Amino acid sequence: MKPEEYLADVEIHWCPGCGNFQIREALVRALAALDLPPHRVVLVTGIGQAAKIVHYLRVNGFNGLHGRTIAAAAGLKMVRPDLVVIAESGDGDLYGEGGNHLIHNIRRNLDITVIAHDNRVYGLTKGQASPTAPAGYTTRAQPFGVLSRPLNPLALALALGAGFVAQAFSGEVERTAQILAAAIRHRGFALVNVLHPCPSWNRVQTFAWYKERIRAVGEEHDPTDFAKAMRLALSDQEVIPVGIFYAVEEPTFEERHPVIRRGPPALQAFPAAEDLRSLLREFL
Amino acid sequence: MELLIRLAGAAGQGIQSLGEILARAFFRSGLYLHAELSYHSRIRGGENAFTLRVSDKPVFATRRDVDLLVVLTAEMWKAYQKKLREGAWVVAEESLGIEGPRVLSLPAQKLAREKLKLPIAMGVILLGAAAKLLGLPEEKVAQAIQEVFGEKAESNLQALSLGYEHGSPPVWDLPGPQFGPGERMLLTGGQAVGAGAIAAGCKFLAAYPMTPGTPVMEFLAQRSERFGIVVEQAEDEIAAINMALGAAYGGARAMVTTSGGGFALMVEGLSLAGMIETPVVIHLGQRPGPATGLPTRTSQENLLFALYAGHGEFPRFLCAPRDQESAFYCTIRAFELAEKYQVPSILLTDQYLVDSYAVIPPLDPQRIPLRSHVLSPEELGKLPTYERFALTPSGVSPRALPGLSPHLVLVDSDEHDSYGRITEDLEIRKAMVEKRLKKEEGLREEVEGPVVYPEGHPRGKTVVLGWGSTFGALREAVEEVNSRGGDFVLVHFQDLWPQKWGEIADLLGPAQRLITVENNAWGQLGKLLAQETGLIPHQHIARYDGRPFVPEELVEALTHEA
Repeated sequence: MKPEEYLADVEIHWCPGCGNFQIREALVRALAALDLPPHRVVLVTGIGQAAKIVHYLRVNGFNGLHGRTIAAAAGLKMVRPDLVVIAESGDGDLYGEGGNHLIHNIRRNLDITVIAHDNRVYGLTKGQASPTAPAGYTTRAQPFGVLSRPLNPLALALALGAGFVAQAFSGEVERTAQILAAAIRHRGFALVNVLHPCPSWNRVQTFAWYKERIRAVGEEHDPTDFAKAMRLALSDQEVIPVGIFYAVEEPTFEERHPVIRRGPPALQAFPAAEDLRSLLREFL
Repeated sequence: MELLIRLAGAAGQGIQSLGEILARAFFRSGLYLHAELSYHSRIRGGENAFTLRVSDKPVFATRRDVDLLVVLTAEMWKAYQKKLREGAWVVAEESLGIEGPRVLSLPAQKLAREKLKLPIAMGVILLGAAAKLLGLPEEKVAQAIQEVFGEKAESNLQALSLGYEHGSPPVWDLPGPQFGPGERMLLTGGQAVGAGAIAAGCKFLAAYPMTPGTPVMEFLAQRSERFGIVVEQAEDEIAAINMALGAAYGGARAMVTTSGGGFALMVEGLSLAGMIETPVVIHLGQRPGPATGLPTRTSQENLLFALYAGHGEFPRFLCAPRDQESAFYCTIRAFELAEKYQVPSILLTDQYLVDSYAVIPPLDPQRIPLRSHVLSPEELGKLPTYERFALTPSGVSPRALPGLSPHLVLVDSDEHDSYGRITEDLEIRKAMVEKRLKKEEGLREEVEGPVVYPEGHPRGKTVVLGWGSTFGALREAVEEVNSRGGDFVLVHFQDLWPQKWGEIADLLGPAQRLITVENNAWGQLGKLLAQETGLIPHQHIARYDGRPFVPEELVEALTHEA
């Protein structure tokens, strides 16, 4: 399939110059590179500007609640391991409102790909700080500047044992497409934090700001080296590494689960009358 | 014939297992019973009481006073010594120093320590003495011990024999078997809901442990491999309902189980189910609130909450099973109706129903036929295009599952068009609201009206109104009051929403007096009735101390009313 075949023919409501356009372009390139039929892919999204991507692509979609993106994706994957499940949303949705689901689904290690659009602000609600906003960042809602330290999603994911941890920058569409393809291909939980500017609200981390700081992870980086991956994740903000920090496959939740291993639970027949009668004999 | 037995001790003394053993021994003797567990929210100490009501006729309610009290601690003696019927017997641990003409004091603690080197066996020793007094043959109790303890039975069988050895000859003459082996079932409400879910083809359950929702989760988990069910302990209740909706979107019949606090966390997800028209079954086992309330006690405080939970307007099926038997069938109906109308179903039980045992006729797993309410790949293949939220006369859109055909399936928590695409077109918005609400009309045709007992129109009479697990106690109380010349009619609801309120107004309007009896302070059914029919109950008999209604107290209250 060609990348453009995954694009929905609808009006797009993102702001001009938004990094979401490039992330969308990278994702359709990744889907095309993997030659995934659109009906085998489910994009689960939450609420926010990033989450609207589900309407701008031609794949199955579950546009759920703010923050609950990964939870819905996890439930779906547990009963439909035959589908390619991608959870995609913004930093507020995945790291703020939905932080608990991120933590516990890393532990589960389902074969799902989480794509986080990280622009460090809330776009849809007009510019408040997100969990990844730097300390001191002022907004109309944070007049004294953000007092909390920013969340480091990549270090968090590594610390929890995520098997695939990567960072990308929307300004590099081809590299982002390659990272996303690798993440989708990865057997197990994959997190890709995609940095992108927000031309409407984020006046600090602009496209130029990122351009100066983005450094691709070198060829010499060994993505099975946990300590080096953690060092990349903890990099100083003056140098922002992009690339696959860590990629090690371990048995997935589906592979370890005695029920799911037998095939998609959702597609199994109703229980046989004889089996039910034998169940009820417990009470005789 | 009726016999009330209470086993009372501290948490950690195995009261629940002792109770189950005694219940099984009576069940194996062909006698009907109802057994209720009352306990403090702790793992050691406190109160643990198992009240067993044995009869030669089916019974569906507990009682306050007993004929035999088996007591293990001084604290429990203090709590229950006044709740004895005339001529009651007490079987007690000797060191409690309880004296009286009908007190059988046993050095159970000493025997357990010295003869068995197993202090915990004290309970089984007392149980053995009690069983002998009750006239139960030792082999029946031994069989029950084996059923409950399995491989751990050996030391308990020795303890049982010690109890029989030190016990007194029978003072009761038990009736012969009222039913033969295989003719009745013994189960709790929680087991009935779990078995119903399996019979309904449930393939996914997510839950965060919370009393009294947990027994349903554990029932399914222990049978998950056998029936191909994914049972997952979620990180929180918000995850549970959203996981269930993800699973339901994928085509699994999905369920969550919780109590009031957990349900409160699920409410946004409930609204999502309404918006994306995705079926899900919510088992809500009630306990007293607000907030954490009384975690291990019973209540009916969540009727209005369950009915109105969720922002926005959308249909739902709300059903409160009246007993263990109907809990099984209601659960299957909850799944079927959720699937057929693409709505959330809420199954409203409570701690009393979930934890209580009853003897019921054998459950028939095929009484409520299961049907697939999704498009098959063949049907999908014939469609030129697919619209997940197509406008139809019934409001129900043909439901496709993702990945089974080239058609794409899109659902959206935003207002959406017939394809599921986000829209702010206000004409479409209007049509979608009407479509969603239209489904309630079909659903309303499928609900059951209230049970009227005794049958007939309650014109000019005093009507007692109730719902859910109070049925057994209310039916008995009405029977007894009427047998003494009263003229009460019980109108008891199981399906609570939707309901044919016009018919209910016709039924209740001509009554002389309306009295609600509910395990809550507000009289929530009364409020609902007033809202839907304009009929305002004259009186509310409330109980909100965390304990279930018992017939003798209801008889007193109703006699006072009459």
